[in-house]
Amino acid sequence: MTDEPTNFLYPFIDAQEHDPKSLLADLAASAQAKAAESLGLRRSTLEANTELIGSAAAEMARRFSTGGRLFTFGNGGSCTDCTTLARLFAQPPIGKPLPAWSLTADQAIMTALGNDVGFELVFARQLIARGKAGDIAIAMSTSGSSPNLMSALKEARHRGMFTVGFAGYDGGAFAKSPDVDACFVVRSQSVHRIQESQALLGHQLWLAVHEQMATQPVEAV
Amino acid sequence: MGNDVTTTAIDRGLDADLAADLAAASFTLAKRFAAGATMWSIAPGWEPHALHIAVEFIHPVIVGKRALPAVAITGPDVVDVVRVSVRPGDIVVAVSGADEPEVRSVMHRSRAWGVTTVWIGSGERPKAGMAEHVLWLDDPDPRVPATGGFVLFYHLLWELTHVCFEHPGLLKEPDVCTDDVCMTCSDEGRLGEVLTATADGMASVRTANGVETVATALVEPVAAGELVLVHAGTAISRVGEEEMR
Repeated sequence: MTDEPTNFLYPFIDAQEHDPKSLLADLAASAQAKAAESLGLRRSTLEANTELIGSAAAEMARRFSTGGRLFTFGNGGSCTDCTTLARLFAQPPIGKPLPAWSLTADQAIMTALGNDVGFELVFARQLIARGKAGDIAIAMSTSGSSPNLMSALKEARHRGMFTVGFAGYDGGAFAKSPDVDACFVVRSQSVHRIQESQALLGHQLWLAVHEQMATQPVEAV
Repeated sequence: MGNDVTTTAIDRGLDADLAADLAAASFTLAKRFAAGATMWSIAPGWEPHALHIAVEFIHPVIVGKRALPAVAITGPDVVDVVRVSVRPGDIVVAVSGADEPEVRSVMHRSRAWGVTTVWIGSGERPKAGMAEHVLWLDDPDPRVPATGGFVLFYHLLWELTHVCFEHPGLLKEPDVCTDDVCMTCSDEGRLGEVLTATADGMASVRTANGVETVATALVEPVAAGELVLVHAGTAISRVGEEEMR
């Protein structure tokens, strides 16, 4: 056991150890390394997406100013992150509330659609009912390729909505799709690190929307 | 609307104290899970964080990692739902500010319920001892919960908890004091939550050891939900929020 090359990761990988000091020191070092990786990725992601945040926020601000509304959607952890983003728009701790909803919020609708028409359409079907030209769709994903998000973005684009995709890795299908107007890619292989950067990207997008709305001339509604 | 919160979110590293807190919290979670705990997550006002924590632990993103019992509690009456859900040895992870009344109430009752507590938040810190493990960002900006900082915290909790599972020898000893003659507990008195008061000077009280019937002559009248200190079969004093630590 002591000669294993990976022992520095798990110095006491046996069932007989009793002193947790070494493990706790390893855990703390690991936490710092992972946090440093997360912070580095957040910084590089914001730098790489500065222009895209500006242009997407300008379009979103234009739409909000003329009555547009925001719908967010995602699966699993991305579902919770897109719900946080919708909440940030609709119930901001600071600033003006804007109309925004997460399409994952209603369990009755999610299970009815999942059961009756299939999971691939749980978001697209809601956009058919609610989405209008002038609205905005934000899909959050780490793979950038989830079928239910792809079908919803296609439906949104078809209806004249502005479509935004959040993806990880190399951007997945979002990055190549004509149905995605603005695609934010967090270039990492770790789902966790991708989600942490996407949260900050969403926050920056929200900030930029408000900055745009403060400077844009208000168009006649 | 400034960008200060962004600077904080990006440039604030994980200092040694916070890293040590995360390590200790993760080790505790691993020991509790190894002993059969369920983890309950609450986040009044920021419910998606509670949901993210539960899905993280129950459906790991890394194939091959074990699913752990984790449940988000959202919606109204959080305290009542946590009360009926938790068992001694369980874990409660809260995400909220230090002044969130329902989380404060859960934290105050946690020792009566025998649950381990982790509190994630930002802004002004909870008073020392309110939760067993406090993972905090000191930035007072109310937008911090939407910047990904908390997501990093619970991702790290999950990642480090699974590292601990590689060390089964260290996970054997339960931390919970379940010994009736434990000097530490009996000297101080154990925290209990009154379930029902009876007319004959007795009350049914929930403590970390289970439900027991205790004499209430010293503290009468007591009502359901009130906290008392139990010593030698007697409720020896009431415990208000201000007296809790």
